[in-house]
Amino acid sequence: MTNQYYEFFCPVKVIAGKAALEHIPYELTGLGAKRPMIVTDKGVRAAGLLDPVIAACEESGLDIISIYDDVPPDSSTGVVKEIAGIYRREKCDSLIAVGGGSAIDTAKAVNILVSEGGDNIAEYSGAGIIKHPLKPFLVVPTTAGTGSEVTSVAVITDTAKSVKLPFTSSFLLPNAAVIDPRMTLTLPPHITAATAMDAMTHATEAFTCMAKNPLSDAYATAAIKKISTSLLKVMDNPKDSDNRLELAQASTMAGIAFSNSMVGLVHALGHATGAICHLPHGMCMSLYLPYVLEYNLETIRAPLGELLLYLEGPEVYATTPASRRAEASISALRKLRDELFKRCKLPRTLKETGSVEEHQLDTIAEMAMDDGSMMFNPKEVTLEDARAVLKRAWA
Amino acid sequence: MLAKRIQPMAFQARRLYVELMFQVMGRALQAVSEIDATVQKEARALPEGFLFEMMVMPDGPRLIVEHIGNGRFHYHSGSAPRPVDLSIQFKHIAHAFLVLSFQEKTAVAFANDRMLVDGDISYAIRMTRILNRLESFILPRLVAKRAVKEYPANLHLPEKLLSAARIYLKVASNFVDTVRT
Ligand SMILES: [Fe+2]
Repeated sequence: MTNQYYEFFCPVKVIAGKAALEHIPYELTGLGAKRPMIVTDKGVRAAGLLDPVIAACEESGLDIISIYDDVPPDSSTGVVKEIAGIYRREKCDSLIAVGGGSAIDTAKAVNILVSEGGDNIAEYSGAGIIKHPLKPFLVVPTTAGTGSEVTSVAVITDTAKSVKLPFTSSFLLPNAAVIDPRMTLTLPPHITAATAMDAMTHATEAFTCMAKNPLSDAYATAAIKKISTSLLKVMDNPKDSDNRLELAQASTMAGIAFSNSMVGLVHALGHATGAICHLPHGMCMSLYLPYVLEYNLETIRAPLGELLLYLEGPEVYATTPASRRAEASISALRKLRDELFKRCKLPRTLKETGSVEEHQLDTIAEMAMDDGSMMFNPKEVTLEDARAVLKRAWA
Repeated sequence: MLAKRIQPMAFQARRLYVELMFQVMGRALQAVSEIDATVQKEARALPEGFLFEMMVMPDGPRLIVEHIGNGRFHYHSGSAPRPVDLSIQFKHIAHAFLVLSFQEKTAVAFANDRMLVDGDISYAIRMTRILNRLESFILPRLVAKRAVKEYPANLHLPEKLLSAARIYLKVASNFVDTVRT
């Protein structure tokens, strides 16, 4: 008997497809909510993405009581406090996050304050602090990548102490994730590419890292198949709403996979690079993915080889000898990156980003060593290893 | 209470083993931190006075060490002098036993949701690396390979310390043989 053991948890109702937004009033009413507040950012509002949400609610007689549209890309404790204040003043009773990772994380944190009380979100930082269900909460993702709609984590910057505060509790999970193709239809090409590659990395790392398990494997492989099939189609035809929906679903599926089986070195390096060089997360993921897979190769040969089926389809899989499949999976990902580079200049090396200097590599390596994602990388990473991977990713 | 009546010896032995192993690890951690540059380098990033605890939920055996500065650890045999900064908590004594009898790697135990981290996750990563290094020292190579993700190539430690730790280990592995069924 093996020692294998795993846990899998995802209580988020997924509401996906055409006219999904129109289900919001029904869902909120079912949760006993009558006075929702929308948390979003200026970009989402400017893109006109709030209009269908508001229209869907008002047509059903559900008024949006308040809209906060000033969530910054890196949300802070001050912003959370401010939104919680408005929520209380306006006597709201539920939250709808419309946006990407930052808006969703902010709404999660606001939900802690308005449900548990107090003004200082830092008091709730850590794992297992929250013991009760929070207010009704829906998420409408507007990027297809982060998977935040199905993760039980939020990260908020404490501006006074300039540290990032993590919040972990299954109560942070929204009641429902509403995935409507209208929400990602206008996403610009480079963001579409970067966020899809973030989802691709979530699925690939979930499938190849230490905490992989049969249930998350199923979500991961399905997500990889959808991204491989749909990403370039969307890049060539941004208004292709069917394939937009495929990417959005893949992002949620990859989110379910990695929130249950974690990520590894790609994310550790990506988090450090994002913090030091201020590069978007998805871009870092796309950049490091093949280099890290090459580094982990001998430890993950079997699962990585299996992924070829989902990356390239049954014919390529069948005609590739089993002993070459892992390498072929890496080549497939490299090929996808080359295609993305052609279409939107998504960088493949640190040099191509134009925002990283070679002398920063050591700092990135050191910071990555302290990242939580290091724990689940299948290979024990030393500082020298991290440096070597960065060197290869340089140019 | 019911279970205690059914298998009293095995349960007691397992608890004793975990307690003993925590003591062995605590002492070894202090000893290794006085000698090994790799452990010192890792530990230096921890604040001075940093208290690390490994314990079995809800109120079982625990191991407490303090970073007293310059990469050195001090083992606290009793209770913690103040609230700990980082706590790694096994959900059940059975899980602690799996890890401390080297049947499950520490990182795998994390991956398998056997334990929780209360505190800064980056310190938890650092402590896991230190514990891996420690296990490679005190365990015979074969057992250590099972306990850590990778066996380090550069182990230089006085034979005296090694043999001392291995004596503890012998006691410990006798326990495993007794308890394993
Ligand atoms: Fe990510």
